[in-house]
Amino acid sequence: MHTATKVAVLALALVAAGAATGQAQNNATMNVTATVFRPITVAADRQLVFGNVFPGQGAQGMALASPSAGHFSIAGEPSASVSMSWVVSPLSQGANTLPLSLSGTYNTIDNPAGSSLGAFASSTAATLSGGALGQLFVYVIGTVTPAANQVPGNYTGTVQLTVIYQ
Amino acid sequence: MRASLTILSLAFGAALPLAAQQTSVVGVRPLAFGGLFPGIPRAVLRTDPANSAQFDLKGHPNGSASLTFLLPAVMTGPAGATLPLVFGGNDGGFSASQSIASQVGFDPRTPYLATFASNRASVFLGGTANPSVSQRAGTYTGTVTLTVVFF
Repeated sequence: MHTATKVAVLALALVAAGAATGQAQNNATMNVTATVFRPITVAADRQLVFGNVFPGQGAQGMALASPSAGHFSIAGEPSASVSMSWVVSPLSQGANTLPLSLSGTYNTIDNPAGSSLGAFASSTAATLSGGALGQLFVYVIGTVTPAANQVPGNYTGTVQLTVIYQ
Repeated sequence: MRASLTILSLAFGAALPLAAQQTSVVGVRPLAFGGLFPGIPRAVLRTDPANSAQFDLKGHPNGSASLTFLLPAVMTGPAGATLPLVFGGNDGGFSASQSIASQVGFDPRTPYLATFASNRASVFLGGTANPSVSQRAGTYTGTVTLTVVFF
């Protein structure tokens, strides 16, 4: 067979193979992205202390600016919306309990003159401070009302604050 | 010999399958979960016009194509931290009209056979990111690959 004829036959064979396959494969890649914000930290950095209270004297408590007021510091993603929720255990000594009523404020700066927490045991929506730091400060005060026949002793309880992103 | 070479060159041009000459896959929009809070999952729907991934395909009218995703199980972030990803059975979408509002859902975890109406189509992808409560803060990235075999 002449050389030119051989080449033409080879080329025709390739045409036939391509037509039989009839496929093409392409691919593309794409990024998946996310930015994770800072986790929330909550610190109970000052206890709520009623000190000595006396039976039958009515409600006894402290002012928001008092060093006896409870204090929480919260940090997280700046300007993020959060929800604060509370669990309050009875102020008790064994089976004896001391009537307790709580209130408080929250503020993006460390100042007790902030927004009221309202009904204390319900969830409260708030916004962390902007700028470089996402902060929130919570002040907790209250009153105790010992009955005239209140059993003497040390009464203790806990106030638990949970903060989550909304 | 010179004539013979000319014949060979023309023959190879014709030998390339038509599909190979006119098909393409292009990634046009990443899958973006945006800002995530630790412990709070975030799902991006394939119908989300801003955050779902989009690939544009060029094929043949009335032709078919097999779509196969290579999906990451995690995104990687600061200091090698990983953030889990989940792709569900309805997170893939094919639109023969390239409209995000007109998709046929499919499971991106398995190959899907799509049919073109015209010579262009789009593929969309959603998913869910699951940051842990202690997820390290920072930027996370991953890669999705779409392989398309045109018939």
